[in-house]
Amino acid sequence: MDYLAERYLRPRKIPSTACSGCGLGQVHKKILLAVEQSGIGTDDLVWGTGIGCTGRQTFNTWKGDNFAGTHGRVYAMAVGLRAALPEEKKILLTVGDGDAFGIGLSHLLHCARRNVGVTVIAADNFGYQSTGGQYGYTTPQGFVTDSSPYGTREPGWLQDGADILDILKSAGATFLARHSSFEGQKAVDSIEKALDNKGFSLVHFIYPCVTHFGAVGLNSRDNGKIVRWFEELFSAKNRPGRGPHVTSGITHDARGSRPEFAAALRSRTREIREGRHVQA
Amino acid sequence: MEVDFEACKACGYCASVCPVKVFAQGTDINKKGYAPYRAVKQEACTGCLRCFYMCPDFCLEVTGSARAGNIGGKT
Ligand code: SF4
Ligand code: SF4
Ligand code: SF4
Repeated sequence: MDYLAERYLRPRKIPSTACSGCGLGQVHKKILLAVEQSGIGTDDLVWGTGIGCTGRQTFNTWKGDNFAGTHGRVYAMAVGLRAALPEEKKILLTVGDGDAFGIGLSHLLHCARRNVGVTVIAADNFGYQSTGGQYGYTTPQGFVTDSSPYGTREPGWLQDGADILDILKSAGATFLARHSSFEGQKAVDSIEKALDNKGFSLVHFIYPCVTHFGAVGLNSRDNGKIVRWFEELFSAKNRPGRGPHVTSGITHDARGSRPEFAAALRSRTREIREGRHVQA
Repeated sequence: MEVDFEACKACGYCASVCPVKVFAQGTDINKKGYAPYRAVKQEACTGCLRCFYMCPDFCLEVTGSARAGNIGGKT
């Protein structure tokens, strides 16, 4: 166990049950590095999880308080928690692509609309991998999965001009970034900024599922081949057109530009109680 | 760099990213059934931390020259 796990994680959860070579642990580690960099202690942050490989591998790993949401509903639970917890307590959610960009998308959008002070780490493995590798909302079109033996027919959220981060930006998110799980300090810095934001932040991490997406979609579990495929995916050469096209880095930084949901609610309540309110 | 024998899942990312070939797979099997990698050429380590960012399993301890970077850890 390294010093990060020793300091921040529950020992009985290490090593995780994730498959050998799964990129999820790379995301988990980057979150802890950002937590360390931000000077956040285990009492300062509540960690919520969604359902799927991401939820399963990160649930209850944090030495501080943890909670788990039902599929796609962890954002709604976090809204309630945000209203109840003191402002300085951080809320971090680790969720998968199915949870965030499919089943829970409506809750996620409303969280962004209200600028709720939570940091969402959306760890995206291009489909429903914990249930055997079915395609999801970001699976690149044409890829073979357990539920698309002839290749998926639907376009995903990352191609043909669509980008899920643009949708979240329009909804009102105040910090958005995207990285691959293979990236180093740049990705850690993005999470640090996301945690620093008082409003809604989301960092989208694309990571390799070697067992399903690798073995079936890319026809290989070889980590060299998978790393090269990811480099190509994120490279500037990969222009919009057919297939996914993504770039790495912060895509939207509007920290402080909109009132945070719970803070605004508290100040409005205070105004009404003190009779200082103006009817809208 | 040191590899925690029981925590390593032998994925090999560390070996594939290390520019100076510090890592090699061992033959002993751990409790999880993997044959972990080992830092066999510690003295060659430049402290670039590529392996540390790549390892998905909280099992690389940053030691020696790698500590010159801005990553914490033990001595
Ligand atoms: S099934 Fe895929 S995403 Fe899930 S733990 Fe295994 S490699 Fe990771
Ligand atoms: S820090 Fe760099 S040089 Fe040292 S073992 Fe890791 S990858 Fe190799
Ligand atoms: S990257 Fe980590 S888990 Fe994978 S072989 Fe190296 S030390 Fe082991």
